Amino acid sequence: MTKGAIQEYADSDGLYGRVTTQYADFDGITLESGYFLGPLTVAFETYGTLSPNRDNAVLILHALSGDAHAAGIDQHGRHGWWDAMIGPGKGIDTDRYFVICSNCLGGCKGTTGPRSTNPETGKPYGRSFPRITIGDMVNVQAMLVKHLGIECLHSVVGGSMGGMQALEWAVSHPSAIRSAIVIAATARLSPQGIAFNWVGRNAIYSDPVNRETEGENQAKGPGRGLAVARMIGHITYLSQHTMEGKFGRKLALTDMNGNRYSLGENGKEGVEFEVESYLEHQGNTFMQRFDEDSYIVITKAIDLFDLEAIYGDLRKAFANVSARLMILSFSSDWLYPTEMSLPIVRALQAEKKDVSFVELDLPYGHDSFLVNAGMPYLTRIIRGFLNGVRPATTE
Amino acid sequence: MYAQQQPNKTPFHEFQVGFNIIADLITPGTRVLDLGCGSGTLLQKLRDEKDVEGCGVELDQEKVIRCIERGIRIMTLDLDEGLGGFPDLSYEYVVLSRTLQQLMNPERVVREMLRVGSKSIITFPNFGHWKMALRYLITGRTPVSETHPHPWYNTPDIHRLTISDFRIFIRKLGGKIEKEIFIIKSSGVSDAFWANRRAEWGCFLISAA
Repeated sequence: MTKGAIQEYADSDGLYGRVTTQYADFDGITLESGYFLGPLTVAFETYGTLSPNRDNAVLILHALSGDAHAAGIDQHGRHGWWDAMIGPGKGIDTDRYFVICSNCLGGCKGTTGPRSTNPETGKPYGRSFPRITIGDMVNVQAMLVKHLGIECLHSVVGGSMGGMQALEWAVSHPSAIRSAIVIAATARLSPQGIAFNWVGRNAIYSDPVNRETEGENQAKGPGRGLAVARMIGHITYLSQHTMEGKFGRKLALTDMNGNRYSLGENGKEGVEFEVESYLEHQGNTFMQRFDEDSYIVITKAIDLFDLEAIYGDLRKAFANVSARLMILSFSSDWLYPTEMSLPIVRALQAEKKDVSFVELDLPYGHDSFLVNAGMPYLTRIIRGFLNGVRPATTE
Repeated sequence: MYAQQQPNKTPFHEFQVGFNIIADLITPGTRVLDLGCGSGTLLQKLRDEKDVEGCGVELDQEKVIRCIERGIRIMTLDLDEGLGGFPDLSYEYVVLSRTLQQLMNPERVVREMLRVGSKSIITFPNFGHWKMALRYLITGRTPVSETHPHPWYNTPDIHRLTISDFRIFIRKLGGKIEKEIFIIKSSGVSDAFWANRRAEWGCFLISAA
């Protein structure tokens, strides 16, 4: 397609082209807990061009397992995790907007996290990494945005944990954003969500290797806790409908890459369902690309997120919000269901804020904002909403 | 889809007459909540022509997305579940255009409108039109007409009310009728002889008494 043409919707195609992750270094940050964490590095990518007025920046906020590589193709040939949404002519149009995505604080993809070296010990933080919050992650993002010379973002856009961050931006940095798109998120994680995260962390804690290497960051041993945690996560991200359609009760002899799959030495069962094969694959891939201590730190931050608790009630939390807000939920999402988006909407309405609420009737569960089949809808909504937000100069 | 979709011949169906009449009732620069706003045609018109700060409520997904594409604030809500999230008197006008006859619980919704809006504008097809009554009398069957284009067994218009019904209904709710406009042969008049029998549509401006 030609540059500048509007794409109705896109699958991930790496259209933006080659991108490189950049790094910004800071002295450090005082966490909400009072702990000073430094030095601080933030991994980020940008797509598109910042306008002369510096008013066309859109910050993308990734979910639990995401990273700074949101669009285009990296040096390993990998497409960005939201490449279907971000690119020339796509929902978040890089011909129009300067798009930024950074790896969150506590992550393992270049931003300071448990794998980083603790200057006091000269060793990786590992499990001694301080407890962080969604607010800390957002404060780090705000430092990056300022570092890039941007005073006010056109929008912040995020799903799941990214949606929590988008809400946090609206609440704690009201003058730094003109709009926010909050997708499949909640103002406080449900006990059900906390429970799933707790089981996931427990799987990691059960790894004998890691118990012995606390505070260090050794190469991963035989422990499979992280893989189990990921499998649990994946179950919660999918809907019954998706599982039925994608796997049914079919038996699998091949993995997602078409290779014959075997449970190897752990394999005690002779027969395998496709859903098992899928989860096994997801778990194994995650083992290679993620860090278990990051998983612990980030899920804990998600668990602790509770705007109601911090401000007394949601209305108070939203009293200073000035951004236009779009709250999006998915009818089939049972991890962050519509009932959890509605209190956010109600409180914003009560405060007479500019809020739109859309419940999309998509069958793909919590992951609806990441699957290609959801893209036609999300593309139109995000493009339309961003288009309706006016820069301060024309207000 | 509804069976026997007839071409909507009445200009009211084509928005212009109906929307112009509604728009004329609205003071520029006010806040307007449009219940069952469809794809946002009225709100866009009000925004562009009257500098209105609008918000729509709609359940149909495609229409909701169309509203967003038009830059219109929108809520995906089922009207029959009320307007719980909207504070008292938070809008100057609440509009319910061509939707009253489709609600499961019109009483609840209109009570909510009176609570949320300083004024409310409601339009509905008038089942009291003489042609309708005549057809009913002669054929003994539920009439199908331009204002009620669907057969009884497959229609969104689950209530068949008349202008007289509506007046009594508003009185019962303790509301006040500020203005009545009758659409007779596709043009709006505010004073008409035998309106309940001659109007195709009724348009009422009401407020909490």
